[in-house]
Amino acid sequence: MIDYHAILPEIILALTVLAVLVTDLVTKDKYYAAVVGMAGLFATMIPLLTLALCDDLAGCSGELPRVLFGGSYVVDQYAVVLKAVFVFAVFIALLLAVAYLESDRYYEGEFYFLLLAAALGGVVMSSSRDFLTLIIGLELVSGPGFLLAGWRKGDERSNEAALKFFIIGVTGLALLLMGVSLVYGITGTQLFAELAATPQAIVDEPVFALGLLFVLLGFTFKISAVPFHVWTPDVYEGAPTPVGAWLSVGSKTAGFVGLLTVCYLAFPQVSNLWGPALWLAAILSMTVGNFVAIQQTNVVRLLGYSSIAQAGFILAPFGAAAAAGADLQQAFAASVTYLVIYAVMNLGAFGVVIAVGTRLKTYELADWSGMYRWSAGLAILVGAFFLSLAGIPPLAGWFAKLAMFSATIAVGDIWGYSIAVVAALNTVVALVYYTKVVKTAFFDPVPDTIDVAALEGMDVAPPMQLALGITAVLVLVLGVFPGLVSTLAQYSSEVVTAAGL
Amino acid sequence: MTIGDWLTESANWAFLFLAIPTFVASVMVVSSRNVVRAVLYLVIALGGSAALFLMLGAEFVGWTVVLVYIGAVIILFLIGIMITRAPLTKSVDLSHPISAKAPAALLSVLLFGVVAWAVVESFGLETIPLPEEATRTGEIGLSIFTSWVIPFEVVSFVLLAALIGGIVLARKDEPAEVP
Amino acid sequence: MMTIIQWILLGAALFSVGLYGVLTRRNAVLVLASVEIMLAAVNINLVAFDTYLSDPAYTGQIFALFVIALAAAEVGVGIAIILMIFRNRHSVDVDELDLMRY
Repeated sequence: MIDYHAILPEIILALTVLAVLVTDLVTKDKYYAAVVGMAGLFATMIPLLTLALCDDLAGCSGELPRVLFGGSYVVDQYAVVLKAVFVFAVFIALLLAVAYLESDRYYEGEFYFLLLAAALGGVVMSSSRDFLTLIIGLELVSGPGFLLAGWRKGDERSNEAALKFFIIGVTGLALLLMGVSLVYGITGTQLFAELAATPQAIVDEPVFALGLLFVLLGFTFKISAVPFHVWTPDVYEGAPTPVGAWLSVGSKTAGFVGLLTVCYLAFPQVSNLWGPALWLAAILSMTVGNFVAIQQTNVVRLLGYSSIAQAGFILAPFGAAAAAGADLQQAFAASVTYLVIYAVMNLGAFGVVIAVGTRLKTYELADWSGMYRWSAGLAILVGAFFLSLAGIPPLAGWFAKLAMFSATIAVGDIWGYSIAVVAALNTVVALVYYTKVVKTAFFDPVPDTIDVAALEGMDVAPPMQLALGITAVLVLVLGVFPGLVSTLAQYSSEVVTAAGL
Repeated sequence: MTIGDWLTESANWAFLFLAIPTFVASVMVVSSRNVVRAVLYLVIALGGSAALFLMLGAEFVGWTVVLVYIGAVIILFLIGIMITRAPLTKSVDLSHPISAKAPAALLSVLLFGVVAWAVVESFGLETIPLPEEATRTGEIGLSIFTSWVIPFEVVSFVLLAALIGGIVLARKDEPAEVP
Repeated sequence: MMTIIQWILLGAALFSVGLYGVLTRRNAVLVLASVEIMLAAVNINLVAFDTYLSDPAYTGQIFALFVIALAAAEVGVGIAIILMIFRNRHSVDVDELDLMRY
């Protein structure tokens, strides 16, 4: 008997995806397809809440974790939290996309369909506890991503973004699958719980380590960590900007979910192998990402490189703890904390970039000069999101940084201290370019080419206002009451071990 | 076990008979100077892998490869070549120049060397028991629909998304509709 | 007797050849063909290991079936993207993907 309550979010989301497709077919006004999609996302949140709060609800039985299909699909606290993150990210991306798509001739209904299908992939991934389900879910996130990146069909940059992203994505997939096949061959299983219980004699075989290496390489492509990061800014710049927002948050979160789940649940006994690899990737990503970001003049590319650097920060606690052989759970909680806050503030930052971009028709930083004169509201939002990314209190980003630093320092050892020092230096470097953006928006004189009077008259579209409002409020609330997100992360980290091991 | 023992086994001759053309054809896919030939060599490489699957008793997988790859995917490739009007004769600009090929070749050989070393180290001369009879397709179906229902359903969404997104990107818009 | 390593060496060889193709081919259709070779190599590994392990659940074979489905989907996506690019610039040369640099 299948536990339908446990997979109700997936079922609702799958039906929503199909409903969006049908709505697109029968209505003339494609706006309705987006409305159906948003309604479906709300409906998906309901079973997520009832699953999380099942103990307190009358008539609800069964507590988390719920194990389905012989342990290959597990709904635990970690899964519920990450499903909510995916649903939230798609919701904001939809809001950002609506106004953007209406502004020009795009295929709309199909866009919403693909975005929601990607959400379904993320939701499935969060619960996957075997390689097969995980990879299929990952491809349902990436596949629509390849297509959406090319949505500006007439724009050669967008075409280029789609092809680059596609070639990188399928090569990463092939590496990942090669790793899985080797691991399967030596252990005879691809279920995480059984892999974690692999006897030491098999763990010592070189094929096992090699398979793990291929798996890590495959995921490094997906999270755009150094050395497989070069595609990121090109894709974000070329893709329609709302797609860039989704890729930088949703697609990246999917990669992290895969990487963290696989490392934590399938290969905990070889953390001495993957720990140093993640540690190195974290250090390289934050350093390379930040130092290249400083030189950017295009805001979208700047966000692209900044997202590479942020990926390094997300990996740092987990990589350091694993490399040092310390307790993984606290580090895991810190990484999840950072991931959740990153998702909120990066969506907001992209949102404000889109809002400004639709007015200026350009993403060059020089044209942002003196934004405060023509739109104080947008300039303040720029300040909020970019300073949050920099980690300035009381905006949410500071708590992400705090969680990351305290977790790496708690690891101790040379691994933990060294990465904390590198992260501290990088935080300073990042401060330079994030504040440069804010300074440009507030204090620089308006360039002559910009017609202030015309810009003042333009409104931000209502869906965009809603998206910016939600993310801005969250950035502020999570910064002032960081307990909310740390509780969430703690909640998600405690059960994952119990369920998986 | 010596090379002599290995060579007296008739199954190994069958293996070589299939594996060598598969390998050679795949080398031709990545090196041929004629686009159409390269894709037709892909047919041989994939057909060889399908025959190898039959040898391993994986009949359903083998025939799926024949139907899906050789029946459908290759056609897609050929359509792609036709529409992009690739030259049907030899051309030099299908690959990077030799200066870029050398590091790639080195990397590939290195990759093969590392995997080969690890595999030999781990598996040594362990034998693979060729099955008496082919895998029953019914059992595979049963396994898919008991343990792997979720990935099976999800993969249908992957295909649907690829289909619909592919149509949108590949279709030719009316001039007025071009964004 | 048949050894397992001969199968995995074949898989590894095909995978390396495919990687070489991805790195050196300039025609996007042929890059895609090279990726297909890499995925075919993975399938050989999976099915050979399945037989080697005498897996009662046929995990390897089922995994290979899913890989085939994914590969088919990816080819569809890839060809669509390539057609779109060809329509705009009349070339499918991946070396010309250089509109965006730093």
